[in-house]
Amino acid sequence: MKKRIELKVNDELWAVDIEPHKTLLEVLNEDLGLMGAKEGCGLGACGACTVIIDGEPVLSCLTLAMDVQNRSIRTIEGLGKEGKPDELQNAFIEHGALQCGFCTPGMMMSSKALLDKNPAPSREEIIDAISGNLCRCTGYKKIIEAVESVAKV
Amino acid sequence: MSEETYSIIGKRLPFIDAVDKATGQAKYAANYILPGMLMGRLLRSPYPHAKVLNIDYSKALSLSGVKAVVTGADIEAIKGEKYGFFRSRRDETGLTTKARYIGDPVAAVAAVDEDTAIEALDLIKVEYEQLPAVFDPEEAMKDGAPVIHDEYQKNIVADRYFDFGDTDAGFKNSDYIREDSFYSQGISHGNSEPRACLAHYERSGKLTVWTSTQSPAYVQRDLSLLLKIPESKIRVIKPIVGCGFGGKVELDAHQVASAILSIKTGRPVKVVLTREEEIAATRIRVPMKVHVRTGVKKDGTLVAQDVKCLADGGAYASTSVLLMFNSGLTTLIPYRIPNLKYEGLMIYTNKPVGGAMRGHGANQPRFAIESQLDMIAEDLGMDAAEIRLRNATRAGDKSISGLVFDSCELSTAIKESTKSAQWEAKRGKKGVNRGIGLACGGFVCGARIGGLTATGSFIQVHDDGGVTVLTGSSDLGQGSRTIIAQVAAEELGLSLSDITVLSSDTEITPIDPGTFSSRVTFYAGNATLIAARDVKKQLANLAGDLLEANPDDIVFKERKVFVKGSPDKSIPFDQLANTLRTRGPGGLIMGKGHWAPTNTQFPDKKTRYGNVSGAYSFACQVAEVEVDTETGQVKVDKITIGDDCGQVINVLGAEGQAEGSAVMGMGQALTEDIIFGKNGQIMNPSYLDYRIPTAKDASDVVTLEVGKPDPVGPYGAKEIGEGLLISTVPAIANAIYDAVGVRITELPITPEKILKELDKKRGETRHDATA
Repeated sequence: MKKRIELKVNDELWAVDIEPHKTLLEVLNEDLGLMGAKEGCGLGACGACTVIIDGEPVLSCLTLAMDVQNRSIRTIEGLGKEGKPDELQNAFIEHGALQCGFCTPGMMMSSKALLDKNPAPSREEIIDAISGNLCRCTGYKKIIEAVESVAKV
Repeated sequence: MSEETYSIIGKRLPFIDAVDKATGQAKYAANYILPGMLMGRLLRSPYPHAKVLNIDYSKALSLSGVKAVVTGADIEAIKGEKYGFFRSRRDETGLTTKARYIGDPVAAVAAVDEDTAIEALDLIKVEYEQLPAVFDPEEAMKDGAPVIHDEYQKNIVADRYFDFGDTDAGFKNSDYIREDSFYSQGISHGNSEPRACLAHYERSGKLTVWTSTQSPAYVQRDLSLLLKIPESKIRVIKPIVGCGFGGKVELDAHQVASAILSIKTGRPVKVVLTREEEIAATRIRVPMKVHVRTGVKKDGTLVAQDVKCLADGGAYASTSVLLMFNSGLTTLIPYRIPNLKYEGLMIYTNKPVGGAMRGHGANQPRFAIESQLDMIAEDLGMDAAEIRLRNATRAGDKSISGLVFDSCELSTAIKESTKSAQWEAKRGKKGVNRGIGLACGGFVCGARIGGLTATGSFIQVHDDGGVTVLTGSSDLGQGSRTIIAQVAAEELGLSLSDITVLSSDTEITPIDPGTFSSRVTFYAGNATLIAARDVKKQLANLAGDLLEANPDDIVFKERKVFVKGSPDKSIPFDQLANTLRTRGPGGLIMGKGHWAPTNTQFPDKKTRYGNVSGAYSFACQVAEVEVDTETGQVKVDKITIGDDCGQVINVLGAEGQAEGSAVMGMGQALTEDIIFGKNGQIMNPSYLDYRIPTAKDASDVVTLEVGKPDPVGPYGAKEIGEGLLISTVPAIANAIYDAVGVRITELPITPEKILKELDKKRGETRHDATA
C-alpha cells in the first residue's frame, strides 16, 4: 500500500507516493531521479549511498524514506551552484581523488559533513570521517589529500 | 623520463570524466531506465552439484506483476553454442540444467519491479537430483572423482608446461637449492559497482545491451553464440563502469538472463546484482598452490627454477588456459633464469569460478618466488636487494622463453626505491618489531592471444576545431579515455578540453577486444596515435599549400598550425579545419588507425616459446611494516614503488594506479580471504565479513617513475594497471619476516598465523580456545 510522504532534498520539497518499506536510497534513485547516491552493498558496509541529513552523514541504504520526512537531506546533486562543482568537488577533480567514480558521491558527502562541522580537520579526522567509505581504485591517498586541500587551516 | 618536451603527455591532468563523476552526473548501467522496463532476478542453486530435473514456475507466473520466467531448458531449446573466454574451453550457458556450484543460476524471472521479482523467486519450485561433489583440486584429479564437465574426465581444465634450457643440469650446477610450497587464497575483485545489465530486444531482431563490462566485444560475441543472434544484430554499449579488475571481462549469467527475458517479453529488462551475488557467484581470484624449487650459485646467481602451480578453477573454465600460461610466462619476466621448468594445472571443482584478476596468474607464483628469494638470500648471507640486482632483467635481454625486453629499468627501480626508503639503514633491525622488505615483478602490455587482438580508432574534426575520437577501448575508471584524449591532443596541438572521446559501443566505435591483459594504453594509445597522424597529414597537406611550405615542416601547437621555425605566421587550427571542408569541391577530415604489435608471436603450441607481448613493465616495491607481537596485527606504514611503465602519459593516472594497487595488495596480503564452506559455498559474501582495506588501513605510498620510453609503446608508454599489484604482496610478507622473523607461506597473513609462528619460535604451543 503506497503512502504519500514529503521529503526535503537539496532545499526542494518533494511529495512522493512510496511503499513504506522503501529506503531513502531507493526513493532518491527511483522516485526523485537523483542517482548520485549509489548502492554498493545494500548493507551499510561500503558507504557509497552516504547522504547528509541535518548535517550528519547517513547511510541511505539503511534509512527508511518514511523516517526522514521534515528533515533536511543533502545529496551530491545538492553541492555546488548552478551546476558548477563546489570547492570540495573541484578538489576531488584536481587531485585525482576519483577513478571509477562509484564511491565518489558517498565519499564526497562524508567529507562534506566533516568539513561543515569542522572546517579545519586534521589528517586523522579526515581519515576517520571517510573510514566507512570503501574505495577500491585510489588507495585513499588522493582522497585524503583532496579533503586536506580545502581544509581551512 | 623522455628528453622530449611534450605539451600534454607526461603531465598531471585531471580525468576528462572527473566533473561528471564528482557531481553525481555519471550514469552507470544500473542507472539506465527505459519505458516499460522490467526488473529481473536470478534463481541460484542451493546445491554444489545437482541435475535440474524439473522446474515448476506456474505459481510464480500467476503472481501479479510477473511477466516471464526462463530456465536453463529455455537456453537449451535455442540450440546455440556454449560460451566462454576461449574457443577451446566454452562451457557456460548462463542458466544451467546442471548446477556445478552453490550459486549457479538455474532460472530467472522478470517482473514489473524488483520486489515482485524477488517474491516470484520463492514461488519457483525446482526439483534437483543431487550429485556427488568435489571441492579440493587434488581430490578432483583422482580416479573416480565426480566429473563436473563430461568432456574433462579428470577435471583438468587447463594444463600448461614449459621446459626451457636444461633444468636437471642447472640444478646439478647449483651451489645451493631450496624447495618450498606456498598458497595464495581466493580474493574478491571488490569492484565498487555491482554488475548490471539492461537488455532490450526489438521485434525487428535487434538486441541492444547496456552493461557494466570490461569487454563489449566479448559480451556481443558470447550472446551471439548462445542465443543464435548474429553479432551484427547485437549492440553492446558500455556506460560509465565502476571498475572491474578482471572480473567483468567475461559474459555473466545476469547478462544472459536480461537478454533472454527481454526476448521473451519484448520489453527492456534490467538485472542488477547484489553484493552477495557479486562476491559469491561471479568470479574470484584463483586460489593456487605453488611449489618452487630454485637453484643458485654461491653469489646468488639464479641457475635453475622449477615452478609447479595447482589452481582451483571452480565450476567453469573462465580464462583457464591463459591464466595457467601467464603463471608460467610471468616467472620469466623480472629475472634472468637460464633453465626453467613449469607445470601449471587448473582443476574444476564444485566451487565458485576462478577467473582473471589484476595480474592474471602472475600474482600467485610471484608471491612464492619472491618469498623464496628472500629465504635464499638469507641462507646465503646475502642482502635481499643485492640478490635481485644480481639477477635483474636488463634492457636488450631475451628470456629463455623468447620474451624480448626492449626496455627495462628494473635495476634502477630496485636502486631508487631502496634508496628512497632508506633500505640499508632499516633492513635487518629486528627487535623493534618494525621491518622492511622488497619484491620485484613485471607484466605484459597485452599478451598475444588467439582471435581478436588489434584495436582501432577513428577521429573526426569538427567545424570549431573540436575533435571527437571514437575508440572501442573500455574505460573502467582507470582513465583510458583521458589517455586517448591526451594522445590526440598532443599530436594535433590541441588542449585536453578540445577532445571528446566516445568509447565502447560495438555499433559505433571501432572494434576492440576489451580491457584486460593491461593492453589499453599500449594498443588503443597506438591506434589513436596513428589516427591522429592521419588527421594531421590531411591538415598538413592543406596547410603546406596555404603557407607555401613542405607539409612535413608543418607544426601543430597551441591550437595553431605553422611552418617549423616560423610560429608568427600561423593558421588557427579551427580555421584550417574549416577551410578543408569548404575549399574547392569540399572535403572532410576523418582519421583512422588500427594497431597491433608486429614484434610479437603467438607462443609455439608445443614449446610455448615466443615473444607474447610488445613490451614488458617492471617494478620493485619496498614495504615497511610494524608488527604487534602481542596481537599479531600488522600495520603497513609505507610502500615505496620503483616503477618502470616507460613514458608516463598522465602523472595523476599513473600515481592513481600505483596507490590503488598498493592498497589492494595490502588487502590481499593481510585481510582479504574468500572462505569456503564444506559444500564449497562462499561463507563471507559481504563487506562485513570480507574485509577490503579502508582509509584507516591504507599505508602511505610513494611512487618513483624510473622508466625510459619503450620503442613500441605510444610515446614510449608501457602498462601500469596490473603489474604493480604483483610485487606488493611478497614485499609485505618479506617485511613481516624482517620485523619479527616469521615466514608465512599461506595468504593472507593473519594475526592468528603470525602469533602461532611466533609461539613456535619461542617454543610454545598456542591452544585454540574455539577448537
